[in-house]
Amino acid sequence: MDGYIYNWNVVWQSMPELRQGLIITLQISIVGMALAIAFGLIFATGRLSQYGYIRKISVGVVDVSRSIPLFVLLFWIYYGLSLKFSINLTAFQAGAIALGITGGAYMAEVFRGGINAIDLGQREAALAIGLTQSKAFFLVIFPQAIRIIVPQAVNVYVGLLKGATIVSVIGVADMIYVAQYVSLNSFTPFEMYSAVGIAFIALTVSVAGLAFLLEKRLNQGRARG
Amino acid sequence: MARSLILKELMKQTMAEALLQIKNVTKQFGDHVVLKDVNLEIAKGEVVCIIGPSGSGKSTLLRCINFIAPPDQGEIVFEGRSWKKFHSAFNIFANRKYEAQLPQLRSEIGMVFQHFNVFPHMTAVENVMLGLTKVRGKDRATARKSAEQALNQVGLGDKIDQYPEKLSGGQKQRVAIARALALNPKVMLFDEVTSALDPELVSGILDEMRRLAREGMTMVVVTHEMNFAFQVANRIVFMDQGKIVTTGTPDEIRNTTDPRARAFLSSILG
Amino acid sequence: MDNAQPFFDFGPIWESRWLLLEGFGIAMFSAVAGIFFAIVLGLIVALMRLSRFKVLRGIAFVYTQLFRGVPLYVLILWIYFGLVYAVGIDIPRIPSGIIALALLNSGYLSETFRSGILAIDKGQREAGEALGLKKWEVTRYIILPQAGRIVVPPTGNQFVDAIKDSAILSIIGVPELMKIAQEQANLFYRPFEFYTVAGLMYLVAVMLVSRGVFMLEGRLARYSRSKGHDESSETAPSASEVNN
Repeated sequence: MDGYIYNWNVVWQSMPELRQGLIITLQISIVGMALAIAFGLIFATGRLSQYGYIRKISVGVVDVSRSIPLFVLLFWIYYGLSLKFSINLTAFQAGAIALGITGGAYMAEVFRGGINAIDLGQREAALAIGLTQSKAFFLVIFPQAIRIIVPQAVNVYVGLLKGATIVSVIGVADMIYVAQYVSLNSFTPFEMYSAVGIAFIALTVSVAGLAFLLEKRLNQGRARG
Repeated sequence: MARSLILKELMKQTMAEALLQIKNVTKQFGDHVVLKDVNLEIAKGEVVCIIGPSGSGKSTLLRCINFIAPPDQGEIVFEGRSWKKFHSAFNIFANRKYEAQLPQLRSEIGMVFQHFNVFPHMTAVENVMLGLTKVRGKDRATARKSAEQALNQVGLGDKIDQYPEKLSGGQKQRVAIARALALNPKVMLFDEVTSALDPELVSGILDEMRRLAREGMTMVVVTHEMNFAFQVANRIVFMDQGKIVTTGTPDEIRNTTDPRARAFLSSILG
Repeated sequence: MDNAQPFFDFGPIWESRWLLLEGFGIAMFSAVAGIFFAIVLGLIVALMRLSRFKVLRGIAFVYTQLFRGVPLYVLILWIYFGLVYAVGIDIPRIPSGIIALALLNSGYLSETFRSGILAIDKGQREAGEALGLKKWEVTRYIILPQAGRIVVPPTGNQFVDAIKDSAILSIIGVPELMKIAQEQANLFYRPFEFYTVAGLMYLVAVMLVSRGVFMLEGRLARYSRSKGHDESSETAPSASEVNN
């Protein structure tokens, strides 16, 4: 550390901008998560369809979405797709959609896993008393599957939070964007990125903590046995 | 004298009219054919016990009756109406229409499972009420009264608002029985309902079943409890490898000459 | 723009094929190197987490929370830009990327390894000690080989993640696939075509790796079965569940 003077003041001075950036990160990750849940439901129900071709397409889309880097998908949507087909997307929108697709692939697996984890006998019993397929699902299967799905959904969200950091590259003014331009002017990348890193870790830990509490509440002994 | 005999015969015939007919039922899972051209008639008020080695298709047969696992070929005739499997590869609406009718069949047939399958996220009384509110469309108050009554009948009056995880295996099974009975089914299907119970709880459930039989319920019982079968059944059906090998009254079966049945019985009864 | 331009034009792709393949090579190299070090680090941290000493356990815990909570992008910027100023160490691009990948994935892998080790029945350790082996010998010869088999699938998944994450290295200028695709896309003004092809190349890489891991699992299972293990499949909690 040959005489490097740590300049933490810069961090305090940029607090307002950083806070703005944090809000943007939260916004884009929440919108992305909402899309992910929607896509996930679509892919998951497609996977369970009676019709072979719908199943195959659903599986295919999920596999592809999980195999491509988020970064590539983002650029493909923002620069590739919208330019080619003349759709005007803002950087925020493109980011949210990319997050939604990637997250959707993971959520599809979460939904599937949660539902499959419910004993087959539950479905049989529900049908046996005369419930229709959809009533059996919503009244018997889903309430039990939710317990398993929610914690894993939170994991997916944490993944989206971290993935959302990339959107600064296409110009969304999130925390990293702020850190970048501040550190450019004041030569303090170490301090700024450390601050942003700590902020993210704090965010992740608190979301994980919330998930833990949520899991405890859901597991209040009822839905077992 | 002749006339009364004729009258008796006529009465016997109308009373013995088959409530349930299983006709040429075949069922397979993938490559494995589980049921091969099974035929069976069950009269109103009859108690039919199905016995046989594991894998003989007994449980699958029960599931064919209420179309939880519809037969690939053949039909089920229940109360005069014929039910056949239907599935179109493309016509979603036809499939939906067909599926919408199955609950009618299923709500008239009660089924109790080996592993109870009570709904863990609902209390005992809610388990029993579910069929009444969501299938029969009754309001919650009426449903609750009927449910409480059903639970009382199976001896669980004091456990109405308990969650299943607080109940023993035998109690859970009683909830399952009450749940099925609450819909006033014409037939009750029992799929090895005591196999998963601790030995000391088995007799309790069997007593419930005896009570139902005495009250005239039509029952199809898959079981390994031979004593029960021979005491309570009007007819015993022996199945092996997806086919009905032989049927008869308990006495007839006890003295059967069929080699496979003989082998099975001697291995169980010793 | 020239009206004669076709809507889809993959010609430029063909022209840039060698550049793209080079980029792909660098991406794969970074991923492999990253995962390799991640495995080494992850194993060390996992063992620390399981040690008798509270201090080691504490450090390991903080380590995993840290590197599972920080986004790769932030970590990379911190290493490449931040460390230069603060500590005076100037780490060139590719090593920065590899270090970032290694640190990040080691966080997840340490959890994977830890749960894999914990999943091995206590009785195995008891039997080993009863034979007279020392504690570390039991770990080395009895526990780790069995745990090794369990952790193959999640580690494979982590490798797949590393391949995908390697795209982020483009931001600090590493000439890997994504960066090349970007440059060429801008050169030929064909972003759609280039990013599609880049995506497909990642897709192929991921599928090949997944297949490879799957076959490796099969091989290992057969190997252990022929050695007289009992046939019952392990019901260890999937380590990727603990991962998250």
